[in-house]
Amino acid sequence: MRRGGPGRRFWTDRRAVAGLMILLLEVILVLLLPVLFGMEPNVTDQTAGFWAPPSAAHWLGTDDVGRDVLARLICGGQVSLLVGFCAAAISLGVGVPLGLLAGWKQGKWEYWIMRLADVFQSFPSIVLVLCLVSLVGASAWNIVAVIGLLGWTGIARLVYANTLTVREREYVLAARALGGRWTTILRRNVLPNAVGPVWAVLPLRVGRAILSESSLSFLGVGIRTPQASWGSLIQYATNTAVFVGRPWIWVPPAVCIVVTVVSLQWVGDGLRNALDPRFYTGNKA
Amino acid sequence: MKKQSAALLLMLALALPLGGCASQPAEEGPKEEVTAERVVQYGLSNPWDSLMPYNSPSGSNYSRIIYDKIYDRLAYVHADGTVTARAAQSWESVEDGCGIVFHLNPDCAFHDGTPVTAEHWVETIALLTDENCPALGRSAFSVLTGTDENGVATGTEELGVKAVDEHTLQFTFKTPTIPEEFLLDKNREYYVLPTHLLEGVDPAELMEQDLWAAPVGSGPCEFVSEVTGNSLTLKANEDYQLGAPGFDTLVITVMDKSSLLTALIAGDLDYYAFGGSVSADNAPTATEAGFTVSKSEAPNTFYELMLNCQTLSDARIRRAVEYALDKELLCEQSTGGYGEVTSTSILPTCESYPGPGETTRNVELSMDLLEEAGYDGETYTLACTSNRSGLAALMQQQLAEAGIQTTIETVDSATLFSGMSDGLYDMAIASHTPSALPLWFVESRFSAENNIFHVDDLSPYLTGIDAIRTETDQEARKALVAQLDGLLAEERPFIPLWFGTALHVESNTVTGIDYDASSFSNENVWEWEKQ
Repeated sequence: MRRGGPGRRFWTDRRAVAGLMILLLEVILVLLLPVLFGMEPNVTDQTAGFWAPPSAAHWLGTDDVGRDVLARLICGGQVSLLVGFCAAAISLGVGVPLGLLAGWKQGKWEYWIMRLADVFQSFPSIVLVLCLVSLVGASAWNIVAVIGLLGWTGIARLVYANTLTVREREYVLAARALGGRWTTILRRNVLPNAVGPVWAVLPLRVGRAILSESSLSFLGVGIRTPQASWGSLIQYATNTAVFVGRPWIWVPPAVCIVVTVVSLQWVGDGLRNALDPRFYTGNKA
Repeated sequence: MKKQSAALLLMLALALPLGGCASQPAEEGPKEEVTAERVVQYGLSNPWDSLMPYNSPSGSNYSRIIYDKIYDRLAYVHADGTVTARAAQSWESVEDGCGIVFHLNPDCAFHDGTPVTAEHWVETIALLTDENCPALGRSAFSVLTGTDENGVATGTEELGVKAVDEHTLQFTFKTPTIPEEFLLDKNREYYVLPTHLLEGVDPAELMEQDLWAAPVGSGPCEFVSEVTGNSLTLKANEDYQLGAPGFDTLVITVMDKSSLLTALIAGDLDYYAFGGSVSADNAPTATEAGFTVSKSEAPNTFYELMLNCQTLSDARIRRAVEYALDKELLCEQSTGGYGEVTSTSILPTCESYPGPGETTRNVELSMDLLEEAGYDGETYTLACTSNRSGLAALMQQQLAEAGIQTTIETVDSATLFSGMSDGLYDMAIASHTPSALPLWFVESRFSAENNIFHVDDLSPYLTGIDAIRTETDQEARKALVAQLDGLLAEERPFIPLWFGTALHVESNTVTGIDYDASSFSNENVWEWEKQ
């Protein structure tokens, strides 16, 4: 049996802490390195040439345009992480209020919001994202918006389910009996108690958004040239010569994606364990 | 441990009978000598639109290379610009250069056994030029007398095609036309259809005939079956007049471009269109896999930067764009050293070739021209296909060094051309298959119907094009070509970049392939031999 608050429980989970540290390190690296070393991800080094192998001047070599792959990897990380975190934030911003409304209001609200979620979930997400990005145009912010707006359903369902439970609790009934406005009750009494599990799935949502952006870039409809992202760097691997003969081009971004997604998974698991009473009272189902 | 061992034993027990099945010799039944079917597996990166050659909305080379197999053409075009016999055995110029007589091969026959006659050709063209016929790509017939600029029969004048006798066909043109030049330009758009199977068909309903679902042509291959947009199975036409192909079946499969070489190496394909083309980058991979990589004898790709003359309205800005570009570096990036920079669309092998012109980068001159023109720092849109995004990024850097701002739009090929046509983009990187004719590029792009560069006043270009088209004296023609090229250099409605030379991965299983000619949408399948 583990004791202490959720924060303490999280910090005792070594995997979760390791995941968090890796993520923090990644964020610091992608934000600071370009500034500290004056990295120029979009400039051709004519002296190095195209497809130069790793060297002292270019640790990960150069790409098909003679650009430094390391600089593109670091700056591509900015885009990938930006897409991941912002898209997750949008999903949160849309999913939480809709889930709360559906669970609290019930009736027509519940019916229409949940049916809307069904409609969104019934489409293969990557196909829908592909169509919408083709429609609105490929740019980092458009991709953030599309992935974010299509990812609200899971969060909304989670909040909806929790709201259904919380709205019947005594303290909520008491607040209603005292004549509190529903918006105030929702904000002060329901939201803090219904949103807890969302923090656990949020890191997974970030990871999924990064993968979606990578898939889009891999398919050639991701962010706009010459901007880089981890997915667009992996796209080089579709060229047989690069896949076979130049692993330094595509292996590092692939490793970055895997490490980031696994770290997010660890953090998500850690948060879930920390926030779930069953995991610390020993009452595992 | 016990459980693991038990699982292993169980797997072995299951696997052994299966392995036994695979190695079981076929001892039962009579022993017959079976000759293995010779199947050529052919890869294509894009599907064809239709099996009716005049119903292709795209008019793409992917469709043409299919029609080339099923239907017959008058001649075979080689990469060096020479033409040899196919449905026509020989040809000659008549009527002071305004007519060509084709002597058809009497051995030509449709796949149903009906001999091909000159009347079939006449009926084909009459049917397609009928105003009620919804034929696509019939502007190819607009060179014939009795047609308008869209290739529709006017009815006021006799149609410029007639059967002199059973195997002699005559075309009459609006302007003097050299037979070889006509064939270089139009051969891939003239097919003979089985009009004996179309008797009584209303021209308006031509495209709705069941015939096109299982077409009968007179080409070197016969239709067997099709999975629309996916695969096409053809069999060798044993009676083809130039000889039977050295295979039994040709299976054309559509697969992603990036998978073609891998499929060839893996043995899933014997050959892929066009000409087993491979990038300089991937050539070592093919060589290491045991394939021979050969270089094309003649350039087979022309690269250009299309410009929108409405948004880049000042010729000085358009010239500044050209001077800002380092064509040598761009060519190196794009072709891996298998290209030659140019300032003209005319092939060096053309008799009227005016020379390479000025191709050196001059950023200072570019900046001066921009200043003169009062360039206000407007950001232009540069469109490209995804496989050229690297090239576009390099161009963007070079233009930025001269002070020209651009944003890159990565789109598919159809969107790129329609976007340029609609004036959506300011610039676009495109490539084309050149021919040895001096007007191969400009003639179709400087017309009222296809003013893709959005040139305000087409008249100087049209005058120059008409003068070249009607001039038969070679020296005088060369002077006219140089004059038109000078106008293009001054006005720069498009920027010629370079001619690329293809590398071909030669098939290890099929011999006799004319790799170079494949770029010109014809393949000598009657000379192929599956090993």
